[in-house]
Amino acid sequence: MRIRCVLASAAVLAALGWNLSGQGLPVSYERLLKAADEPGNWLMHSHTYNSWRFSSLNQITTANVKNLHMKWLFQGRHIEKFETTPLVVNGVMYLTRPENAIYALDAATGRQMWMYEYRNPPRTFNCCGKVNRGLAILGNTLFMNTLDMHVVAVDARSGHEIWKTQIYDYNEAGGYAAPGAPLVVKDKLIVGMAGGERGVSGFLDAYDTKTGQRLWRFHTIPQPGEPNVGTWAGDSWKTGGVTTWNNGSYDPETNTLFWGTSNPWPDYNDDFRAGDNLYSCSVLALDPDTGKLKWFYQFTPHDLHDWDSTQIPILLDTQFRGENRKALAWANRNGFYYLLDRTTGKFLTAKAFVKQTWAKGFDDNGRPEVIPGNEPTPEGNDRVWPGVDGGANWMSHSYSPLTRLLYVFAREEHRTFSKNAVPHPTTEVTANSAAEPTTVAQANAGAYDPAIGGAITRAVGAPEESWGKVIAIDPGTGDIKWEHRVLTPPWGGVMATAGNLVFGGTLEGMIFALNATTGERLWTFSSNGPVFASPISYTANGKQLVSIPAGDLIVTFGLD
Amino acid sequence: MRARFSLLILLLGVAQAQRNPALTGEPAPGARPEVNPFSTEADILQGGALFQTHCSYCHGVRGEGGRGADLTAGEYRMGGSEPDLFKTIRMGVPGSEMPSFRISDEEVWKLVAYVKRLGSQGLFEKAPGDASVGKALYGKNGCAACHRIGDQGTDLGPALTDVGRRRGLVFLEESLVKPDAVVANAFRAVQVVLKSGQTITGLRLNEDDLSVQLRDVGGNLRSILKENVREIRRDKPSLMPSYEARLNKTELVDLVAYLNSLKGEP
Repeated sequence: MRIRCVLASAAVLAALGWNLSGQGLPVSYERLLKAADEPGNWLMHSHTYNSWRFSSLNQITTANVKNLHMKWLFQGRHIEKFETTPLVVNGVMYLTRPENAIYALDAATGRQMWMYEYRNPPRTFNCCGKVNRGLAILGNTLFMNTLDMHVVAVDARSGHEIWKTQIYDYNEAGGYAAPGAPLVVKDKLIVGMAGGERGVSGFLDAYDTKTGQRLWRFHTIPQPGEPNVGTWAGDSWKTGGVTTWNNGSYDPETNTLFWGTSNPWPDYNDDFRAGDNLYSCSVLALDPDTGKLKWFYQFTPHDLHDWDSTQIPILLDTQFRGENRKALAWANRNGFYYLLDRTTGKFLTAKAFVKQTWAKGFDDNGRPEVIPGNEPTPEGNDRVWPGVDGGANWMSHSYSPLTRLLYVFAREEHRTFSKNAVPHPTTEVTANSAAEPTTVAQANAGAYDPAIGGAITRAVGAPEESWGKVIAIDPGTGDIKWEHRVLTPPWGGVMATAGNLVFGGTLEGMIFALNATTGERLWTFSSNGPVFASPISYTANGKQLVSIPAGDLIVTFGLD
Repeated sequence: MRARFSLLILLLGVAQAQRNPALTGEPAPGARPEVNPFSTEADILQGGALFQTHCSYCHGVRGEGGRGADLTAGEYRMGGSEPDLFKTIRMGVPGSEMPSFRISDEEVWKLVAYVKRLGSQGLFEKAPGDASVGKALYGKNGCAACHRIGDQGTDLGPALTDVGRRRGLVFLEESLVKPDAVVANAFRAVQVVLKSGQTITGLRLNEDDLSVQLRDVGGNLRSILKENVREIRRDKPSLMPSYEARLNKTELVDLVAYLNSLKGEP
């Protein structure tokens, strides 16, 4: 009798179409390749493998955006800020909450369906908050990186954990972490890591999506015997940083994975790391099947300012000096916009998009002609632009194929760079450093010092002296077509839509929509939660919605 | 038998690991001293070097703040006792960008000693002036119209109840003669010029792209839409006038001596 009743209830629910947790699954790799054909879904961190973060939904337009209003809130109820990009699969939103929980919500109402919570140890070592930036999905499985250096696979239908794999010992060196979103390519899960301020040794991994078994590891610092290891003086390569803490892009046509790398360590003190310090501050073009390096381009050789190149690569075809090029567009933390040929890595052009003082130009190979006097100094060098957080940072940029403009939420910021003494590591990193060192000698040997980099960067003067701006860049020339200024340097990204809009949010929590052609602000909502993430758009019940994290909220907007 | 014995050892080991604060990362309850065991002048000196390496990135080369809190103010959101500061450095501050630090207890204590010194400069300096004369000058010049000492005065400017503990003599004198030199964010002044021609002066409490919130010099809370604003002037960040020309050198020294005598609650 009881069984009959359950069966009858299930039939009724199915007839009413309430089987929300199963719709749209599984998400095949073929669907990921054609993610642009599913504008109602958001299937990967940057929406599509070219990382345009462009929504072809056009129900919300420049004409009606003034009528946009809040449809629902999801309250994270946590003290860390959201930095996540949710995924949406046919009416179900999957998102990560700090630190390392996953929620499945009804995307039409924000009602929770299930929650998975990963337990990190009390102390983890991400540099800038116990944050997480999102998920990947393949089949019926969600994938999340964790602060204690694991990857977990979770059933998207139930929230049950399927497998868990350790990436690396998070206690090694000054501490490793994995706050970024992973990326599925074919049957592999591409996973990056963080710790560039803590003397780690960087890598990018690929895991079997079925089993969690590691398939390859690319060391972002050349190992002994490999090309370019000589770009690190002495044994500085052992603790040189060069992490991979953001997301990447993939070009199916050339079967190439593109991923950016972070700063060399120590960040501001180069006493013991003479050389270009490859492959720091670079874009890596890798074969995703093997992890072999196809080519690289280093944006900032021998970086001294923590100018990570962990921005997400934008893959686009554009006219460059009269020729159509398969290009890679990159607004870099160092203040320059770059255009590269993505098939070869050849440097095409670069142009500053914020105030910069460190390079007077580039040679034909794209090597910057560095202006002396920008180095960090013991007393503090305040004559350097951009600041330590850069002209761009990790937040997503967006490209619209309709306007053929690249949208960047850029940062104009003045900071001081100072140089401190940093003890040089002289011993191997120990395998077992889980225990806290109890003496200075222990702390300075073996696991080595967790110094945040050995330098000082601080704001100069009033906070009003720095600002933010959404800019529209012509990708072929680097020319800025329009600029929309906001009060403070942002930590949120942007999303362009086929409604000819650009959405984003400010540090003060002002969520906005701009005219993608002119930069005019058409709509504003005061969430009063700082935006540290990038918007997405999707449909629920056939209606276009826009969601963006603000503080500990996910805020979702729609028309009627 | 051997297997059972091995299992017992393993279980004991697991239990030990679960209890071992060094392995779990949690401080052992009661194991931490209540008083800093590393607080000699040499320890503070070493703490200063550690500070430059670990902390100055966010807290500034002199602890003046920036991305992180101003540590020279001697006010600590997570608690100012030595064990509180130890915990803050060891474990980080949840919900903020302050991370936990993997350094030895000894180093943490030395950092605690240095940070305490940063925020208690006035305890280690002897003011040369006459504090009683300075107190009279404080009253005569109407300082209580903007500052609070204990329950006397107002909150337009920073409270001075324990300023003699937190701030050194150089800072106190500079605050009197060059009040615009260092202004805490909570006390930054703006002059909002409306399109109507009216100018409203006050402390900038908050701001976004569409509006600015301030407490005007009359103590009124104001929120002003920028569409009604012609200009927001920020070139005079302190509401406090300079006393460089209002006090002679002796009076200045005496007033500094009075401020230095304000140590707050024991």
